[in-house]
Amino acid sequence: MARCGGGAVSTSPAPASVYRVKEGLGLWEHRGKVAAVGIGHSPTFRRWDGTPENSVGGISLEALRRAIDDAGVNPADVDGLVMDPSTTTGAFWPRGKPLPWDSINAYNRTDDPLDGITGLSADWILANSAELTGIEFTSYGVGCMSNAICVAAQAIGDGRAHTCLVLKSWHNLEGRYYQGGANAGNAIPGSSAIRSLWGTPACFGTAVQFAEYCRKYGKTHDMMAPFIENSRQNGLKFPEGYWAQHRPEEITPEDYEAARWIAKPANLFDNDLPIMVSAAYLFTTADRARHLKQQPVYILNHATSRTRPRSLTPTLDEVEADTARTARKIYEGAGITANDLSFENMYDGFALFHQFHIEGLGYRGLKFGEALDFYQTDISISGPNPVSPSGGNIGCGRSRFWMHTDCIQQIQQRAGARQVTGVKPEIAVSGGPMPVGGNYMVWSATPGS
Amino acid sequence: MRALISFDIDGTLEEGDPPGILTIDFVRETKQDGFLVGSCSDRPISAQRAMWERHGIDVDFAVSKHMLADVKSRFTADVYYHIGDREDLDKRPAEQAGFEFLWPHEALAKPWG
Repeated sequence: MARCGGGAVSTSPAPASVYRVKEGLGLWEHRGKVAAVGIGHSPTFRRWDGTPENSVGGISLEALRRAIDDAGVNPADVDGLVMDPSTTTGAFWPRGKPLPWDSINAYNRTDDPLDGITGLSADWILANSAELTGIEFTSYGVGCMSNAICVAAQAIGDGRAHTCLVLKSWHNLEGRYYQGGANAGNAIPGSSAIRSLWGTPACFGTAVQFAEYCRKYGKTHDMMAPFIENSRQNGLKFPEGYWAQHRPEEITPEDYEAARWIAKPANLFDNDLPIMVSAAYLFTTADRARHLKQQPVYILNHATSRTRPRSLTPTLDEVEADTARTARKIYEGAGITANDLSFENMYDGFALFHQFHIEGLGYRGLKFGEALDFYQTDISISGPNPVSPSGGNIGCGRSRFWMHTDCIQQIQQRAGARQVTGVKPEIAVSGGPMPVGGNYMVWSATPGS
Repeated sequence: MRALISFDIDGTLEEGDPPGILTIDFVRETKQDGFLVGSCSDRPISAQRAMWERHGIDVDFAVSKHMLADVKSRFTADVYYHIGDREDLDKRPAEQAGFEFLWPHEALAKPWG
């Protein structure tokens, strides 16, 4: 039970009605009336080191406090919290391993001893955030930051909160991932048994789609090299990211083409690196945002895909139909066209589906089958057609939120060495995770006309 | 007898992520002792080369994880060793490529001189 206004309410996943799933909804009713202001990131780590401060709970508190400070808000004025309670990168607490009681007891705990270690509830956050005395609204946006920011934006627009923290955190433990949890059992419910129990790697579905893409359009895997190289270069300019902090390694075309296959034609560098990290944003009303420390970044729309493929893995045709549908929803609700995009920050964790996202968007006039040729042109942050200026998961490690942070920072003109210079950063789009099934956000320097 | 030693990095060498028990000086000494020495890792090849350059070790090869067979075809030696920390990504492919496999602690205990 989360503490709310002195009382307590349970926190639930946001209801389906929150999400803008359908076409034909028109302009978002809260277009330009909600803004992102503050950003807070924790340090990154490859794996948890066993210390309380670097547990997923500890780094989440750090990210939240940094976001509040960045926005210049009194913590007592925060009245909303939207977050994802799941924090696993694929790592679960090993069955039979003694619980880390020193870290558990370093904080106020909930009924679940692993809350704050391998998961994160709103109760845990509020139990350990004495400064957040004004929380009246809590909700879960499950899966990733892309989901949570849609929930928070809608909540502010609907008047359920006026100053809302949005939080997403990831834990990663020692050992191999995707080997524990349900995957370690003797049975897995539903169709995930086909993928998980019988052992295809996570990138298998995307690899199949990419293979079909190459066959259909006459493209080759090595045409992805400029995208990978660009993503890592951008990521190395993202001081909050893992690679910039710990292993400042570029990926050259030679490196990329020499990497081993994970699920051919997806190689090692088409996959992202699981890490520990947390990020928080502070969203508020456009009116309040104007009086805070940072420049407001207005939200013009949020959109969601809940498309279910006919079978286990979406076909290329299904992917293309859905990314095009998602783009129509994004543009319709924001009242913009593809021509209005200053840059794009669609998801990339797996690299081999980024082109599906941007072709669906028609970014810079792209049609299906054209993105890999586009990658052979200037897609850098200094050119007229920036692709993934955040560097995404490929450039910064697995978080699924670098793209959102980058959109906010670029529009606020505080992306540092990563700042786009070939375009004026006015309107941007970010979101994911999958081309079929995800949540998307349109960010703007102005509230729109 | 001419021998070639391939080092995995992550989980094997002290510079690895996670760090392993084999020191960079251990690698340097094997090189000074006349062994053919290099790395076989999932790290980008350019990053492997940069790491060796940083330590002033002129390695004979730096390759991706699946390229041990290529290494064997490029260098003539009487015996080929690969030292690593993973059953699936080091031991099995090393043995498939005709290398003798050593865990890091076995490499430390082995008299190389």
